Amino acid sequence: MNKHGWVARSIAGGAALALGLTMAGCSGGSGASSRPENEIHVAMYGDAGNTVEQKMIDAFNATSQVKVVLDKIPGAEYQSKLQTIIDTPTAPDIFFNWGGGSIKSFVDADLVLPLDDFVKEDPQLKDAFLPSVFEKAVIDGKAYGIPMRGTQPVMLFNNSKVLADAGIAAPPATWEELLADVKILKDKGITPIALGAGDRWPTLMWFEYIYDRVAGEGLFQKALQGDTGVWASPESRKALGMIRELVDAGAFGTNFDSVKFTDGGAPALLASGKAGFELMGSWEYSTQQSNNAAFAADVLGYSEFPKIEGGLGDANNLVGNPNNFYSINKNTRYPEAARDFLKLMYSDQFVQEQVAIGNLPTTTNTEKFLDKAADPEYAKYQFNLVKEAPSFQLSWDQAYPPEATVTILTAVSQFFSGQIDEDGFIKAMQSL
Amino acid sequence: MTTTLANRRRPARAGGPERGRPAGRSGSSASRPGFVWALPASIFFGLFALVPLIAVAVLSFTRWSGLGDPKFVGLKNWEALFADPVMLQSLWLSLLFIVLGIVTQTPLSILLGVWAAGNQKNRAILSAIYFVPLLLSSAAISVLWRALLDPNFGIPGQMSWLFGDGNVLGTQTGAIAVLIFVGMWQFTPFHTLIYQGAARQIPPVLYQAASIDGAGTVRQFVSITLPQLKNSIITSVILMVVGGLTTFETVLILTNGGPGTGTTITAFHMYQEAFRRFDFGTGSAIALVLVVISTAISFAVVRVSGYDKMRSSMEGL
Repeated sequence: MNKHGWVARSIAGGAALALGLTMAGCSGGSGASSRPENEIHVAMYGDAGNTVEQKMIDAFNATSQVKVVLDKIPGAEYQSKLQTIIDTPTAPDIFFNWGGGSIKSFVDADLVLPLDDFVKEDPQLKDAFLPSVFEKAVIDGKAYGIPMRGTQPVMLFNNSKVLADAGIAAPPATWEELLADVKILKDKGITPIALGAGDRWPTLMWFEYIYDRVAGEGLFQKALQGDTGVWASPESRKALGMIRELVDAGAFGTNFDSVKFTDGGAPALLASGKAGFELMGSWEYSTQQSNNAAFAADVLGYSEFPKIEGGLGDANNLVGNPNNFYSINKNTRYPEAARDFLKLMYSDQFVQEQVAIGNLPTTTNTEKFLDKAADPEYAKYQFNLVKEAPSFQLSWDQAYPPEATVTILTAVSQFFSGQIDEDGFIKAMQSL
Repeated sequence: MTTTLANRRRPARAGGPERGRPAGRSGSSASRPGFVWALPASIFFGLFALVPLIAVAVLSFTRWSGLGDPKFVGLKNWEALFADPVMLQSLWLSLLFIVLGIVTQTPLSILLGVWAAGNQKNRAILSAIYFVPLLLSSAAISVLWRALLDPNFGIPGQMSWLFGDGNVLGTQTGAIAVLIFVGMWQFTPFHTLIYQGAARQIPPVLYQAASIDGAGTVRQFVSITLPQLKNSIITSVILMVVGGLTTFETVLILTNGGPGTGTTITAFHMYQEAFRRFDFGTGSAIALVLVVISTAISFAVVRVSGYDKMRSSMEGL
């Protein structure tokens, strides 16, 4: 009898345990009550820029009862991680994003808090930012994000010492000059252009610029709206031919597929003088500043992407990220605290800190802080670049919804390394 | 009622001469443990293996991005999967990884394991050193090798006579070679451990008899050690097959499935579909394919090898 009692108890215990675990597994969904008390979490793209985010949070926490916690997520996996947790009890209260396409599916799933009421209470939340940038996080007429960090145009960076030693007086202004520089550097045994093709997105930047210069910004806009025919157009083929020409000229060396930007490989090539140029977003400056401070201060040069003669695109057009945004989770327990935190994004301290690491916030008060930048010349150059650009194209992998990015990045990297030809690339892009 | 019956059949509980008797020779099922003992493990298995498996099976017939509710789409994911050239290629690649993994790791771990089972000088210290890679996480190992293999600042840059331009991870052959090598570096210690334990179980009397008959070291190894290790080899190979099918972290960090789709093995393809494209339906379908294949391979290995008969290699001694 005793034995039976024991069996019965253990079965009951096991069932209770099983049930408990199942319950724990099912308590997803809203789960607002499971969020920690007096704490809000910010999901953040992890990179060299995190120092400023941490400073802003420290400043906020000094006076606030609700404390902000920074969750740094390694850059390459940021989007995957965010999508995986956004609909769970561990979702962040505030999250970094690229605006527009990158949060559309969250908005559709009713997970993002519209900020219009906050803007009504505090018009500065809108008016303090450049309208063209603020608009990028407006979906169906409602604002879902506040610009943060800085605008990120892609520029052609160079190692000015390497160029001077090779007898190159100025960065290339035209495509022909770029090809000539490539030849000079190659003959000297230097990799002309550093490329972290292992990450794939740095390769995409070459496509974005060459397509924009050759075919104008319209081609990509049409493609994004579903007109996949444009990929087979003569302009598209011309752009692909030029990319092929550049790769075949040895512009990137032969081992670019083994190099990454995210582990510091490509920036180290430029800083160590093993490469002459690198096409990269404006964050190249803060990356070099944290890895190779002396190089960033004295040797790092920069210029616009070269003009392409006969191309349809304006030579002042930019590609990159107009800005990043903070959005608020609809299920947050402390929307007011989150709102107060967002107010810091137009504060003088925020602009100053960002400018100090080479970022360029898109607030209306930015211009008056440019002199206080780590490199005022760089800050002003970038500011004017953005101000004068007739078009600022969002990166293809951010403009398309996530399900397309794997296809784009694979096609781009395969075309660069010669695994597919023009027709293969066009076919891949038309499959989106 | 059952209690008394069981009690009657059960031999004296404590002490008694039967205590040391090997189970199974008593001729009855008297000492077989009841189902109750398997209950905790069964509940655990059900919760963390069966329930998710069923959930994945259901998901494979839906379209779901991870947000909101899954939409039922019938066989659409499966049709797309069979038409997907990357899927077929990934299966071949996975098979290649498994075969290369077994071919490179098994001989080495048998030799190391048998050696480590001996009582040579410094053996314990060297064994401990060999064991170190197993203590590191796959992610750490991958980051380590990624840095070591940087074409400009790592080993290839210093040894251009061997690596050429250093584009090791940028070619399919190079990337596969690196992944196989890193897998070997990481998992040989584990399989060595299995063989070490097994080699120690071989009765020394066999070797003594062989010596008297004039058999040399090689002959003893081939005729005694290898046959005695049969069950361990099967165990080790099954673990390699299942491990090879689910290799993932090293691919993600070292090659990202590239160059192109050159190292997109099935497990990585599954991750890419589910967590990069946010197409959990297709990802689940790939997961099910993996489950079916690994189960089938395990069964096949067990069947072909006669492992299911649970015969000890000591039988007949």
